Amino acid sequence: MLAIETIGLTKYYSRGKIKALQDFNLQVETGKIFSLLGPNGAGKTTLIKLLLGIVMPTRGTASILQQPISDHNIHQQIGYLPENHKFPDFLNPVQVLTYYGKMDGLTADQVKKKIPELLKLVKLEKWEKVKVKKFSKGMLQRLGLAQAMINDPQLLFLDEPTDGIDPVGRREVRDILLELKNKGKTIFLNSHLLSEVERMSDDIAILNNGKLVEQGKLEKFISVERQYHISVDSDDHQLEKICREMDINGNDFNGRFTVMVEDDIQLNRLIDTIRSRQLNILSIIPRKISLEDFFIQVVHDEKGDSR
Amino acid sequence: MRTLALIQLTFKESLAKKTFMAFFGISTLVSLLFIFALNLDIVDGAQAYISVFGQEANSLVELDKIVVTIEGAISILLFTGGIFMALFATSNLIPSFLESGTIDLLISKPLSRMQIFMGRFTGAIAIVAFNIFYLIVFTWLIISVKTGIWNFNFLLSGVVIVISFAILYALMAFLGLITSSGAFSLMITYLILFFSPLLLQRDNIYALLSSKFYGYLLDGIYYVLPKTAQLSIMTQNIVNGNPVSSWMPLWSSALFGVGITGISVLIFNRKNF
Repeated sequence: MLAIETIGLTKYYSRGKIKALQDFNLQVETGKIFSLLGPNGAGKTTLIKLLLGIVMPTRGTASILQQPISDHNIHQQIGYLPENHKFPDFLNPVQVLTYYGKMDGLTADQVKKKIPELLKLVKLEKWEKVKVKKFSKGMLQRLGLAQAMINDPQLLFLDEPTDGIDPVGRREVRDILLELKNKGKTIFLNSHLLSEVERMSDDIAILNNGKLVEQGKLEKFISVERQYHISVDSDDHQLEKICREMDINGNDFNGRFTVMVEDDIQLNRLIDTIRSRQLNILSIIPRKISLEDFFIQVVHDEKGDSR
Repeated sequence: MRTLALIQLTFKESLAKKTFMAFFGISTLVSLLFIFALNLDIVDGAQAYISVFGQEANSLVELDKIVVTIEGAISILLFTGGIFMALFATSNLIPSFLESGTIDLLISKPLSRMQIFMGRFTGAIAIVAFNIFYLIVFTWLIISVKTGIWNFNFLLSGVVIVISFAILYALMAFLGLITSSGAFSLMITYLILFFSPLLLQRDNIYALLSSKFYGYLLDGIYYVLPKTAQLSIMTQNIVNGNPVSSWMPLWSSALFGVGITGISVLIFNRKNF
């Protein structure tokens, strides 16, 4: 089932002078963590705003949870954490969650029951009586996340959720999101922190200048085909020798011995040979590039193409 | 329930502002003033001496007149000073909720855009109505209990004052929506408020105009814009128990309020944030 689907979604500003999003086609499956990447001004926030009805499309259609985006009732099943959100600063976290929970259609009893568990989850239970004007950026983000989860949504839109949060907090947010995913929720993430995205995303899309450049499984983009890091309980010279004998391209790559094989048969032959030389294989790991490397490569290629 | 939460939030936001607390404080002060300023001496179950602000009333008829005069003065004070302060205090409510990070969050809730706009709009009117009726009902009770003269028309004047505020607030909300500037929308609304007495005197201006066209233009402006000067006179007439010669200023101003609110809702429905 699709959580999000867009067909030819387009948004122009200033009578077409600014093309924020152009013929955007996207499909996001339910129960996945989907991340949207792109340089500043690529159109990431515009896409979220279009999906939530905050801006109106110039043309094209879109649906969330099988309902057209024009139907605001579907927002009952949606949680949203905007980038640079502003909560009324005269409220404390309990009041914030109460008001926004009621706007989501929750009853006073439901809100009352939900608030303590959410504040505990985002580690703000000790701050429940403190007005949000005294909160740091990180604390506001945590509260924003709690607010997005108040209605137990099926689909969460998070725009830079770890912005301003320290590394320990980021890990906690990541754990919360992974737990939500395990519960079958769909998470749509906008983030600049590529290392975070890489750690938790199932699928990604890269947006540049309002156009979809890449979309697919994260694994597909960061795996390097037929390249493996091999480590044995001996020095790498032995491995180099074996590779030379078998005419396999093998050398040191960032401190790890890496081989490039033609196919799985050749890889298995290599393993057999290593074992036959009485070497213990400690690990064989498919080589991956970092998402950051992939992202920069894609954006660079795009720049080259556009020239 | 959902819209109510938005109204409650706007109400709370207004209460958090010092202007409304000042308004509330002044209302309490005025009411307390009446508790102490109105003196009654009862001898053998009958009123032997009545004084208001040190002035002795010789008969019940005279007392009735004094009560109506005081209530009339309060209602006019509320119509001018009260609305002036209320507009000032609410001028930023629309622009502040249109800010990025606030409006996005509200639109992401299962509320229609109309519900969001009207929730905010109603919240602002609710807080002003609360303040106005707090003063009116409180002073009315004190005066009525102490004098035994129950002028229900005074309560009715509160309704006209709140409607008048709502009409002007509709204009201010519209301006706030299209300019996102609280200061600008307040200035223009004040201009309309103070322009109204001038338009009421347009018969005297006709002679000074070089062309008939300007006369028609003035007439047009008069009929379209809220007639606050006449609404103020109407308020005083209601308190005094005088007949209202024409309800036109009320219904035509209300029509303006409804019309401009409708336009605001249409704009808000199509606006990108």
